[in-house]
Amino acid sequence: MKKKGMKKLNRMLEMPQEVYTNVPKFTITGFEELIIENYKGILEYENFFVRISTHIGIVNINGLNLNLETMTNDDIRVTGKIESVELERVID
Amino acid sequence: MFFRILINFIIGYVRIAVEGYYIERFINICKNEKIAVWNLKRNNDIKLYLNVGLRDYRKIIKVAKKTKCKVKIERKRGVPFVFNRYKKRKIFGIFLMLLIATTIFSSNFIWNIEVRVENDEKMENIVQDLEEMGLKTGEWKDKINTKEVINRVRLKRQDIAWMGIELKGTNAIVRIAKAKEKPQIIDENEYCNIVSDKTGVITKISAQNGTAVAKVGDTITKGTPLINGWLEGKYTGIRYVHAKGEIEAKVWYTKSKKVEYNQIIKEETGNEENKYTIKLNNFQINLQKKLSKFKIYDTITSENKFKIFSDFYLPIAIEKTTYKEQKEKKITYTPEEAKNIGIEQVQKELDEEIENKENIVNKNINFYQRQDAVEVYVTYEVLENIGTEEKIVF
Repeated sequence: MKKKGMKKLNRMLEMPQEVYTNVPKFTITGFEELIIENYKGILEYENFFVRISTHIGIVNINGLNLNLETMTNDDIRVTGKIESVELERVID
Repeated sequence: MFFRILINFIIGYVRIAVEGYYIERFINICKNEKIAVWNLKRNNDIKLYLNVGLRDYRKIIKVAKKTKCKVKIERKRGVPFVFNRYKKRKIFGIFLMLLIATTIFSSNFIWNIEVRVENDEKMENIVQDLEEMGLKTGEWKDKINTKEVINRVRLKRQDIAWMGIELKGTNAIVRIAKAKEKPQIIDENEYCNIVSDKTGVITKISAQNGTAVAKVGDTITKGTPLINGWLEGKYTGIRYVHAKGEIEAKVWYTKSKKVEYNQIIKEETGNEENKYTIKLNNFQINLQKKLSKFKIYDTITSENKFKIFSDFYLPIAIEKTTYKEQKEKKITYTPEEAKNIGIEQVQKELDEEIENKENIVNKNINFYQRQDAVEVYVTYEVLENIGTEEKIVF
């Protein structure tokens, strides 16, 4: 009940969703940069394939020369020639 | 993150290659332990390259042991490593310190004086005056009392309306607003005459106080008395007054010019040659021989003072001398053309001299043809108020 109330308050204050929940936010700039906020961890990392887990599912990134540029506690930047981004929903 | 990387560059960071089977686990553990890693790159081989700060390197080794990865240092970057490299080169270090010390030391002096006069008017000898009053290049900055310098310069010179000195770095910016020259004002109570200050013919004269000496139609020259500062009465005798009155006169401005039919005009060919000289205060080093290869040329010299930031001037200057090649060209004018050119030039000169164009009454143009040239005489007739006050000396 308390959590629900907080949620309502946050929505009223127009807080960004990724700040008060665990929902990830993807920002794709051009075709060469992808920023993921609120990620959980890296499942696989290859030159051509990155698999990143988030709280609500898994993101697969296909591409060429993928680098994980800046990695901090809550956001990660993937650069390189991104060819496709797939989302895998975790059924709960 | 960018900021953190920048700090890491100062503290020092290493690029390492991690080799092992559980690479993803390695990255996740790094994340959970809050170790800042960046620029992760994986080539086709199994190696993972990443940057990590010097302080976190020990933690990374522990993590690598846990995940059974091999760690190899690829590159060391950052300030501590650079210093380490120069630890053994003592002379280099000494000179570096000396350089820093001299720059800090020399930043306490004034190395450049910039005079900015409002509206780009010209002030004669202002730099010399400033130097005399204590603001000169090579002076210790704390020693200069700008207020005092301003006061002293303003006391010495009458033509300054406002003046400000701003010390910016090693640069002293002197801002000056020029005052218009004021005629000498004679006190109302003192006796004075009115005297002509120009040559012309009087068209109107009215004395408000004093006795008019000149009449309408009189030709006057500079210094001719116009209104005398005394009144003569039959019974009162001579009484001295402060003369006042209005005098209008026709003043002639004449200018002449001789325009030759055959003229040699120098024209730039566009070829240029630059030569540089290094100047250390008064000491010069020529980088090239000073003579130009051109036969006929024009020289332009410009001095560029070295500066580090926008206002940190150093006592070193580069003098650039540009030689511009010129070509002689013969031009022949017909008498008519020469005359027109002459008239145009002379009129331009006269227009600059006369302030009130509305008062020009008459323009007179004469020209005489000679064998090889035309002489042009242009006379402007201008109505002007003339007369200056002159103190009566007993």
